[in-house]
Amino acid sequence: MRDRLRTILRIARWEAGGVSHGLDRRTLLGALALVLIIGAVVGGGVAVGVAGFEVDRDIYHVGVEPNSPYADAIEADPALISVGLERAEVGETVDVAVYETGEGVAVTTAETTKGEAAAEAVRAAIEAHNERRMAAEENQTAAFPVTVELRYESRTVAGTDGPTLGEDPIDEPDGADADNTVDSGPTDDESTVDSNDATDDDSTADSNDATDGEDATAHTDPADGEDGFAVPSIGDGGGEAFGADAVGSPGSITPPFPFLSLLLAFVFLVPMNFLIQAYGSSILNERINRRGELLLVAPIHAVDVVAGKTLPYVGAAVAVTAIIAVGVGGGLLSVLAMVPIALTFLAATFVGAMFARSFKELTFVTVAVSVLLTTYAFIPAVFTNVTPVALISPLTIVVLDLQGEAVSIVEFLFSTGPVTIAAGLLFLLGVGVYREEDMFTQKPVPRKLLDALAVRLASVGRVDASAEADVESTHRWGIRRRVRGLATVAFITACTVPFVFVAELLAVAVLFALPVTVSIPVLLVTLAFIEEVAKSIHLYAGFERDIFARTDRVAVAVGLASGLGFFLAEKATAVVQAVGLTDLFIGRAAFGEVAGLDALPLPLAIGLFFAPLALHGFATVVAAVGASRNRAYYTMTLVIATLLHAAYNFGVVSLYG
Amino acid sequence: MIEVRGLKKTYGGFAAVADSTFSVAEGEVFGIVGPNGAGKTTTLKMLAGLIEPTNGEARVAGFDSTDPEMRQQLGFLPEESPLYEEMTPRSYLRFFADLYAVPRDVATERVETTLDRLSLDHRERRLGDMSKGMKRKVAIARSLVNDPDVVIYDEPASGLDPVTTNTVLEFTRELRAEGKTVVFSAHNLHQVESVCDRVIIMNEGRIVARGSVEEIRDRHGETTYHVYTDVSVTVPTDGTEWDPNEGITEGTPNEDVAGADGRRAPLRSEPVGDRYRVAVPSMATVEDVREAADAVGGEVVDIRSREPSLEDIFLDVVGRTPDRPRTVDDDFVRGDGQDASAEPQRGATAEEERR
Repeated sequence: MRDRLRTILRIARWEAGGVSHGLDRRTLLGALALVLIIGAVVGGGVAVGVAGFEVDRDIYHVGVEPNSPYADAIEADPALISVGLERAEVGETVDVAVYETGEGVAVTTAETTKGEAAAEAVRAAIEAHNERRMAAEENQTAAFPVTVELRYESRTVAGTDGPTLGEDPIDEPDGADADNTVDSGPTDDESTVDSNDATDDDSTADSNDATDGEDATAHTDPADGEDGFAVPSIGDGGGEAFGADAVGSPGSITPPFPFLSLLLAFVFLVPMNFLIQAYGSSILNERINRRGELLLVAPIHAVDVVAGKTLPYVGAAVAVTAIIAVGVGGGLLSVLAMVPIALTFLAATFVGAMFARSFKELTFVTVAVSVLLTTYAFIPAVFTNVTPVALISPLTIVVLDLQGEAVSIVEFLFSTGPVTIAAGLLFLLGVGVYREEDMFTQKPVPRKLLDALAVRLASVGRVDASAEADVESTHRWGIRRRVRGLATVAFITACTVPFVFVAELLAVAVLFALPVTVSIPVLLVTLAFIEEVAKSIHLYAGFERDIFARTDRVAVAVGLASGLGFFLAEKATAVVQAVGLTDLFIGRAAFGEVAGLDALPLPLAIGLFFAPLALHGFATVVAAVGASRNRAYYTMTLVIATLLHAAYNFGVVSLYG
Repeated sequence: MIEVRGLKKTYGGFAAVADSTFSVAEGEVFGIVGPNGAGKTTTLKMLAGLIEPTNGEARVAGFDSTDPEMRQQLGFLPEESPLYEEMTPRSYLRFFADLYAVPRDVATERVETTLDRLSLDHRERRLGDMSKGMKRKVAIARSLVNDPDVVIYDEPASGLDPVTTNTVLEFTRELRAEGKTVVFSAHNLHQVESVCDRVIIMNEGRIVARGSVEEIRDRHGETTYHVYTDVSVTVPTDGTEWDPNEGITEGTPNEDVAGADGRRAPLRSEPVGDRYRVAVPSMATVEDVREAADAVGGEVVDIRSREPSLEDIFLDVVGRTPDRPRTVDDDFVRGDGQDASAEPQRGATAEEERR
């Protein structure tokens, strides 16, 4: 083990030297220097205020006297630029002008849309200025005589699946009632989540609490928000994420869109795209020039070679992430959350580089990896403050960390676990074809994929259930070997579950914004297709690569084994309940098989518990029988299996209501 | 040192190597020859553990060829061995010495010694700036960083100039003198003939001849006698070539040179300069030439014997195997190849293309 570790580190050192991907140290140092210079320029700009992350900076010109009390309010708002009144000409040099007269204040606005928006911005800036001044008051009771406590109640009506963008999620906001019940949709079970203290008297204005800033927070009513983003409850303390701890008037509440955090979180993703270019190039260089053959003939394991070649890139990803985290105010949590993302980027690139036949194809692969994984990481994170579905992306953890949110272990594992496992399995898939017979041949990508899957089935041996083979195989392998072979099939199917999980969650996230009448049917078919492919693609590889005999008996045997493997692994997805995903209607559609059984009579519950086993077994057998014939049959039976599965899903959803 | 039994490698229904059995003794230089697609490289890669056999087994230095431990005893030089061009010969060899877990001080000494032996002076020059011959020498040096017991060289002198080729061949002889076992494949049969103790000839995945060069020559080759006459190329005068068969009344009764039908094999003349020469398979047949020359007023002026080269035998063995698709079930030729010439085969496409 120690020798292997030393070998891995030796290869890593060699890889880090840049010799394997054709880049010399000077080029690498030059690239590093360039990155540092760009970082320094941007960072310096941010530091001195020349550059910033505010997209609405310096939009409106406001005429105001420099010694006016309004000047401070305007100066404090990044969207406003103050201009002296002597140079102010409304409609020309300024959008709005604030005059102090002996009787009060006069505001002159340009008669344009921008002028109106500028006036609104000035009003908001002045209100915010006043809020800040009030917050700075020593006597907070005097400053904020009324405390409003928010409570979020889950909505139980099925079929109206919580918040969608642009939809007003507010039921009946009652400003007079301290319990401002907000229809948040995706809340935890009975989760009346109070970010402060739900057991407190709801409408008590406690001056002591007010001064310590913990309980007497004046929660504002999102009903006054304009975008209709629902307020979610993401575990404990979720309320703070969208301004529950804000002090001020209801109108000053920040919409629950973590723009700045998202923007900063995106910065974490950017270096990954550069890393995978270098990494993919290094892997493909070993293949295109056959240089990797010399490493393969050395007394080292292929997995050690891959580990050694990958290690520098993982190290670089961690280092860059840590630097960014320090720069943008993230913590260790951000770095830890980014590691699975980096691993997934590298793993997907590794597999792509193992399958690609040329640098042209590699370019396609890296672009595809970049786009897909960036989408997977970023899109859900947009909904960080809206729905727990956002937690499918580890980037959401980064956003929460940047917002100063607490993240539970369960949330962290839920977010990073599937991605990490998927990365590991991708590496395993790629390592399987890191051998002479696959590395240096120019096979089409689908054939390489089948080879990679077949490698993992190789330990099965030839599963031959034909009558003629029975006698022979009894002697040659025996029952135990055959059972072990089928167990391998089941295990490989089970290994696909993290990918299925990721793909399904991505499908849920993508379809999340669509109307329920559209999203549910599409989702049911999509999920069925994903699962049927996962259960049968390696069986097809087994038949194509002659690992399985092309008989119906074998097809039934491996189909049932695969279905069983999927069923058992699927039950592990019960973890989704831990984060409340099944409280979402759309979440129930995805994971409904494991949710809500307790409400049913026992026989029915048991029946429903094992119904997926029957479904997976039967549908996979259908696909396996097609796979045992040829590609056309496999395609046809896969469609049939998908439709059967989708019909079952529809039945489950209907049953659960 | 190397034991190969029933080695087979198939890709789908195509057998790149079919049922090869041979052994190589310690300290022997063993040659594998054959045309493109014969299965030489696949055989060598199976020996090196790069390709897993479909059937059969290969043991190298006491280890199964698929055992990573075996590679510690092996030096392998592939036909194409592109180097890491940013490295220098010294850093390149030390890197591989590290992978073979050679102690640093031993590696340093070994690297320098090997580079000395190969007369490679530019040890700190970038590999990308080196000539093909120099790169090949570095690749050969790499195959020796672990001081292997067995060395497998796939076309080691391919594409090299005569001087470098000679250096490589001489180095191979030195390895034999050191007691290393060398398996060596080449297209150039003169190279194989000059360094190999024993040879197998492969065609379409099968061994079609085996043994020492002399044994193969005895088994598959025949001494040819070149009978030089003073018959002028102007005879006959009608512009056609001289047919010595016309001047023979009975011919030699030697059954060894008779055709399958029991009749005397026809003689064939060929012009050499301004005189005719006739190639005959035995001294007995020389009398026929003498009679034929006499018939046109000439006589035999010289007789020279010519031993067949490995290339002649190779062309003879491989050339008389008509094309026929090769399949996994194609078991009509025994592993020892003795029946190869009796059965038709064809389809010598490179296995890389099939794969």
